Amino acid sequence: MSRGSGGGYDRHITIFSPEGRLFQVEYAFKAVKAAGITSIGVRGKDSVCVVTQKKVPDKLLDQTSVTHLFPITKYLGLLATGMTADARTLVQQARNESAEFRFRYGYEMPVDALAKWIADKSQVYTQHAYMRPLGVVAMVLGIDEENGPQLYKCDPAGHFYGHKATSAGSKEQEAINFLEKKMKNDPSFSYEETVQTAISALQSVLQEDFKATEIEVGVVRADNPVFRVLSTEEIDEHLTAISERD
Amino acid sequence: MGDSQYSFSLTTFSPSGKLVQIEHALTAVGSGQTSLGIKAANGVVIATEKKLPSILVDETSVQKIQCLTPNIGVVYSGMGPDFRVLVRKSRKLAEQYHRLYKEPIPVTQLVRETAAVMQEFTQSGGVRPFGVSLLVAGFDDSGPQLYQVDPSGSYFSWKASAMGKNVSNAKTFLEKRYTDDMELDDAVHTAILTLKEGFEGQISGKNIEIGIIGTDKKFRVLTPAEIDDYLAEVE
Repeated sequence: MSRGSGGGYDRHITIFSPEGRLFQVEYAFKAVKAAGITSIGVRGKDSVCVVTQKKVPDKLLDQTSVTHLFPITKYLGLLATGMTADARTLVQQARNESAEFRFRYGYEMPVDALAKWIADKSQVYTQHAYMRPLGVVAMVLGIDEENGPQLYKCDPAGHFYGHKATSAGSKEQEAINFLEKKMKNDPSFSYEETVQTAISALQSVLQEDFKATEIEVGVVRADNPVFRVLSTEEIDEHLTAISERD
Repeated sequence: MGDSQYSFSLTTFSPSGKLVQIEHALTAVGSGQTSLGIKAANGVVIATEKKLPSILVDETSVQKIQCLTPNIGVVYSGMGPDFRVLVRKSRKLAEQYHRLYKEPIPVTQLVRETAAVMQEFTQSGGVRPFGVSLLVAGFDDSGPQLYQVDPSGSYFSWKASAMGKNVSNAKTFLEKRYTDDMELDDAVHTAILTLKEGFEGQISGKNIEIGIIGTDKKFRVLTPAEIDDYLAEVE
């Protein structure tokens, strides 16, 4: 005789449901989608680019304070899609951890090490009842000394993978379909191609042409491994290049 | 550990005497990707499907089979994030043993201590059981060994076993094919054939992982090229 739904608590805290699922983790994924933002990341031959929508809900808001792109160290960037408050606490902890890593071991924290740390922390929230999973999907980007440009995505379930290209947020699946077609034959994108693929993927999936102030773009390049957020002028150049290309 | 508000166990007995959270954890394992292990006369092989959510995922960034010590490897079915936690804890336990006794930890001891960790999470306050079953493959002074550890913390030694989605077909297949005097190479071929049975799509060195340990007592994961060679032999 099997009990029904675990006393009804399987939807409130992260314990197993009768089908072996964790509802709280699944709801956390829904919270990421509900934020209404889509983000895209693309890894090229010698660069990585991430793009996200910049929706400023109120004209009175200071636009410069509305951001989802965070430098974690000089060399590592993090694009957080989902609940902004959860994103900020994650960024704060990631900055602390990467600084401690540098102090403890004497070299910069690699991209995959940071992604693993974020994912392991997310796993703890899926196993301990006293803390809920964070409603954030984190894309970590950087240039790895041995493996070159790296793009990792970490989700509320604690999974993390390296990606050639990926997406997160409300139109995640449409974007992934678009990117799968583009990356099918394992192309080797230059810096410009990487940025333009990312931006045009976002435009195609959301079916609108952006102004430079409506998106945020972050890049790392092998010849300059510092994480940089592009200025409005630079974004404009890429947008013009895309519209001229089409 | 954790908040005092949750100082009670979430895994409690049902009126019929079952621990339902553990049963649900086993269901989670049963919907995970198939993995299996075979103990040969001169070694052990463990293997798993490696189906990634999209072709955009860089498959070189993912390794499902991990080594716990130079002579012990492990594979799982179920929740990947939970597996990472167990791998980390097991590695630390193995290292602590080595520091204390100045010799590598025997396979049975490591399995017992890992299983004890999994059992703790079925009884401690404010936590849920691990959603993984492990297959631990090792070679020490007692010879080649294969153990399966379940979310409840119970473990058994197996000659051959399978876990995950295709478990019943895989076990039937293994029962037919298993012989006590199998060599490691034969075991690898049998492992591949067993995975192939329930495999959806085209099997290749990129969407399965195989780990072996032989009389050299060194656990290693085969490269995709080596797996492709074995696949060609099997055809």
